[in-house]
Amino acid sequence: MAAPQLDARDPLEPQPLIEGQHTDKTINDSLLAHVWRGAGKGWWACFAVALSLLGMLVIAISWTLYKGIGVWGNNIPVGWAFGIINFVWWIGIGHAGTLISAILLLFQQKWRTSINRFAEAMTLFAVICALLFPLLHTGRPWFAIYWLMPYPSTNGIWPQFKSPLTWDVFAVTTYFTISLLFWFLGLVPDLAALRDSSQSKAKRLIYGMLAMGWRGSGRHWAEYKWSYVLLAGLSTPLVLSVHTIVSFDFATSVIPGWHTTIFPPYFVAGAVFSGFAMVMTWMIPARKFLGLKHVVTPKHLENMCKIMLVTGMMVSYGYLMEHFIAWYSGDPYEFAQFYYTRMRGPMAGVYWTMIFCNVVVPQIWWFKRWRHNIMVMWFASLLINVGMWCERFNIVVTSLHQDFLPSSWRNYAPTWVDITLFMGTIGLFSTLFLLFLKFVPAVAVTEVKELRHELAHDPTADPVGETH
Amino acid sequence: MSEHGHEESSFVARQFAVAEFPSPQTLLDGTTKMREAGYKNLDTHTPFPIHGLEEALGLKRPKIPLIVLCGAIAGACIAYAMIYFCNVFDWPLNIGNRPPHGPPANIPITFELAVLLGGGSAFMGFFALAKLPQPYHPIFESEDFQRASIDAFFLSVELPPGTDMDRTLADIRASGALSAEIVEESER
Repeated sequence: MAAPQLDARDPLEPQPLIEGQHTDKTINDSLLAHVWRGAGKGWWACFAVALSLLGMLVIAISWTLYKGIGVWGNNIPVGWAFGIINFVWWIGIGHAGTLISAILLLFQQKWRTSINRFAEAMTLFAVICALLFPLLHTGRPWFAIYWLMPYPSTNGIWPQFKSPLTWDVFAVTTYFTISLLFWFLGLVPDLAALRDSSQSKAKRLIYGMLAMGWRGSGRHWAEYKWSYVLLAGLSTPLVLSVHTIVSFDFATSVIPGWHTTIFPPYFVAGAVFSGFAMVMTWMIPARKFLGLKHVVTPKHLENMCKIMLVTGMMVSYGYLMEHFIAWYSGDPYEFAQFYYTRMRGPMAGVYWTMIFCNVVVPQIWWFKRWRHNIMVMWFASLLINVGMWCERFNIVVTSLHQDFLPSSWRNYAPTWVDITLFMGTIGLFSTLFLLFLKFVPAVAVTEVKELRHELAHDPTADPVGETH
Repeated sequence: MSEHGHEESSFVARQFAVAEFPSPQTLLDGTTKMREAGYKNLDTHTPFPIHGLEEALGLKRPKIPLIVLCGAIAGACIAYAMIYFCNVFDWPLNIGNRPPHGPPANIPITFELAVLLGGGSAFMGFFALAKLPQPYHPIFESEDFQRASIDAFFLSVELPPGTDMDRTLADIRASGALSAEIVEESER
């Protein structure tokens, strides 16, 4: 539908952020329609798949808890494998949500408005999936609170505050909490809109309770705007700190391939890269099936492609610099890691998949025609998700399985539990996400209304919504 | 019976004048006019924040920034004090003869807790200042008010007992309102 319209337009003419003529009422109704509409066959089909994957998660977790973490494939020297790969991968996916909701808000990028709710929800669900892995890797998660948090237990011991793993605990729990508060705060006016446009008494009651008596008061808005922008302001350094601290887990150790100063920025760029890819993977079908094409326009998709191109280039620079330093430092172990083990070792396939997906694939977005081809975009975003997973596999497993002494090298293979657990978290994510799409407006209705007024009434506002 | 009757008599229903305005700009103008005419306890009800409402309502500086600053500073202090207490007083660990107090290693947790408490106080502070959750408010008695969260722009004035209602309604209409009515708190 959208593509032919676009082609009819002058290619040099700026594209709108909201397609068509709308009033507050039509925006309200069209963006809430998918909540009121009964679940269609497509939704149930997706939900069935998601639930069966979630079932796999239940099986994998039960088996892990019953037998112990020995059923995972990681063992010395590969002491970290799927657990931490998936943890980093999921956390990274969450980062696009915070980037869109917080950083783009501070930079006054108007196009963020249509996709922020969606991406923030993704952050929450991705962080839940991520948290499962370190929790299960403790072996006895029911004790984890004593080990991870500074809890004055009768053991009389404290967490090691000088360890990046302890920093991680604080960073990730803070990240989840702040993301949840930010998301809910943004949602309150929309819940009030849902309350006031609901047809049945039960729905009105439920959404009414969630909206907490919001009445759009000007006195409330005055404080609300500050609360919202300050949460954005706090989230911005937070999101940078979270993946920086995650990268410290590796960078503060001495394993060849881990001990690098480029890790923090390179991890953050990779996180945003993979997060945008995941947003795109879900956004393309969602905008079609939820009827959001008028607010998630080709311009939004094009902007996302551009961000992926930029962050993809940053990630590529990271790879280049790792290889350069490995050679320039003269460290034989680093050199061997980058030029033999990764490129030609037993896991070279993962390395070259990573290079293809993360370095080569995003280059298509130099060309406008590929930034407007929905199918190409969608497949490319899937490949980037795969590529970023391979990157973490490379960093974790490839570095560990051949480190210093060849006598201590050992190959690694995941077990069925590892794979089931990973698939299971995809199920958990999808289940939560589908429920979100069913019960909560996927687009920040209030903010789109505000944007429409800004674009329509403010003569100084840039109609295209670029930065000033 | 008599006790119940006593309770009923102590209830004084709050009254509000509620008026709908056709657009954000007319709402701003109307609010300013009403405030300048001497009406107190004005409030606006809009589906989204409107630029210039603070001035129209004559609001003071928002309190949230200071609350967040205090929260963030408290978070940082609590974090640093906690690490210092654990590592220096309660259970110093000698690892490779490094000093028990290692400031650079304390930065991440100090930062994270500053963000956590700062963000938490932005959230909790807002709801405390707004006195939410508040499931019932007399203004919900107005039938049209449902549209305040969708596409309508309302002004409300809380009327102290003994206000001349007709005059108030006339003033609101004169300030540009489409419609105006009086709503009364119902006893629950």
